Amino acid sequence: MNHIKRFAIDTKKYLSYALRSAKADLKSEVANSYLDWLWWLIEPFCTMLIYTLIFGVVFNASEQYFPIFIFIGITMWGFFSRSISGSVNMVRMNRAIITKVYMPKYILLFSKMLVNGFKMLVSFGIVILMMIVFGVAPTVSIIWAVPIFLILFLFTFGVGTIMMHYGVYVSDLSYITGIVLNMLMYLTGTFYSVAKRIPAPFGELLEKCNPVAFLISSMRNALLYGQAPDLMLMLVWTVASLVLIILGTLTIYNNENAYVKVI
Amino acid sequence: MSEERKLAIEVKDVSINYRILNSVSVRKSFLRKRVHEEVFEAVKHISFEIEEGGILGIIGQNGSGKSTLLRSIAGVFAPNAGEIDLHNHSVSLMALGVGFKDNLSGRENIILSGMLLGFSEKEILEKMDEIIEFSEIGDFIDRPVRTYSSGMHSKLAFSITAMLETDIMLVDEVLSVGDERFKKKSLAKMKSLINDKNRTVIIVSHSIPTLKELCDKVLWIHAGEIKEMGEPETVLKNYVEFMK
Repeated sequence: MNHIKRFAIDTKKYLSYALRSAKADLKSEVANSYLDWLWWLIEPFCTMLIYTLIFGVVFNASEQYFPIFIFIGITMWGFFSRSISGSVNMVRMNRAIITKVYMPKYILLFSKMLVNGFKMLVSFGIVILMMIVFGVAPTVSIIWAVPIFLILFLFTFGVGTIMMHYGVYVSDLSYITGIVLNMLMYLTGTFYSVAKRIPAPFGELLEKCNPVAFLISSMRNALLYGQAPDLMLMLVWTVASLVLIILGTLTIYNNENAYVKVI
Repeated sequence: MSEERKLAIEVKDVSINYRILNSVSVRKSFLRKRVHEEVFEAVKHISFEIEEGGILGIIGQNGSGKSTLLRSIAGVFAPNAGEIDLHNHSVSLMALGVGFKDNLSGRENIILSGMLLGFSEKEILEKMDEIIEFSEIGDFIDRPVRTYSSGMHSKLAFSITAMLETDIMLVDEVLSVGDERFKKKSLAKMKSLINDKNRTVIIVSHSIPTLKELCDKVLWIHAGEIKEMGEPETVLKNYVEFMK
């Protein structure tokens, strides 16, 4: 209980730092390139083109509104994967700061996720644009996008805090994370529908057990096909994410003292 | 001293350990089930207190635990045993090599460092011009910190901690930074900060003349333990004797 209170106080105290730091990071990324923030649109857009070509034409796979279908998958997966692979080296990367002044270490991850989250939202501007171009008729289900984003954020934060802790102690964790994330990307259905393509009952099972796959497919259903998500599963994954966050931040609180001495 | 002064820093029976060999690779942990772990006690049962406005110098050989103790007082990590009470004073650590984000501009870094020192964005913006002017960085302030020379780096760091004044200042071997001119300027600024009646200061240094000049008490740490604490004259004399 004590820790939960501390978590609330710390988050309030360092929230403005996290926001400011995220803003500065975004600004510096923009300042050093010619096409500014357009890159946040161009990059996923090009990946989408490649996937649409390869899977749509070469492998002859298709879903309704296939390019948008893929685009949603790529941006949401990109957010998760970037945040997790970043979390592994998070403490080491910020050693210059944390050896000089105290801050709750999960704030580093939180700030990084704000950066990635903002980029994801900007990319979703393209989704809206493409929906107009493809003539997707929007339904009320669109509002489900908000809780889906929230759960994705919570789940990523939960996993991230745990990875961040082990990343301090296990020096080659980033290689393993890279491989696992790569494998997970194919299991998450960034460019195909897990539930439909993998033979029953494994496909549906896989989608239910993998929250990122579940959230991506829910997002597609809500935006493109006018279907509300499975509320029970949404609730289950919200609770699971909160448990992960509690476990992760507790671990960090109990060990962050030692981080500075190890790195 | 007739009137009783309030305490600023209380260090009670503080010990700090380092665990050596703690970062492991996956291969190593597969080969050996138990990773060999060694505990190194950097600071052993140290206690002292400083009154508000006091200036304490800490001296000792390399590796005697001075910087570790200082970082612990700054709150970078908590001690393994014992207690450090700052009586709600704000604290900043001034050390060589600074906590900047390399990809951000000097200006952004001033704001972020200031926030971590506990200042609000408004307070920092008020001091911004003063900091930039003192640091003599000029136009570079809006370029990423990674483009700075090492001199500019430390000048900016010094200016931030010198201008954003905290109740307690911890100084780790940075009594002179930058070129000759800046050295003079920063030393003068430092002295005025240190001699401010309301500011409590701890200085870690190897320079005996500096400590003699600035401090009103000196603590000599040897191998993590207090060897002697008292008047600068006597402690420093004994230290010099010991190091011969």
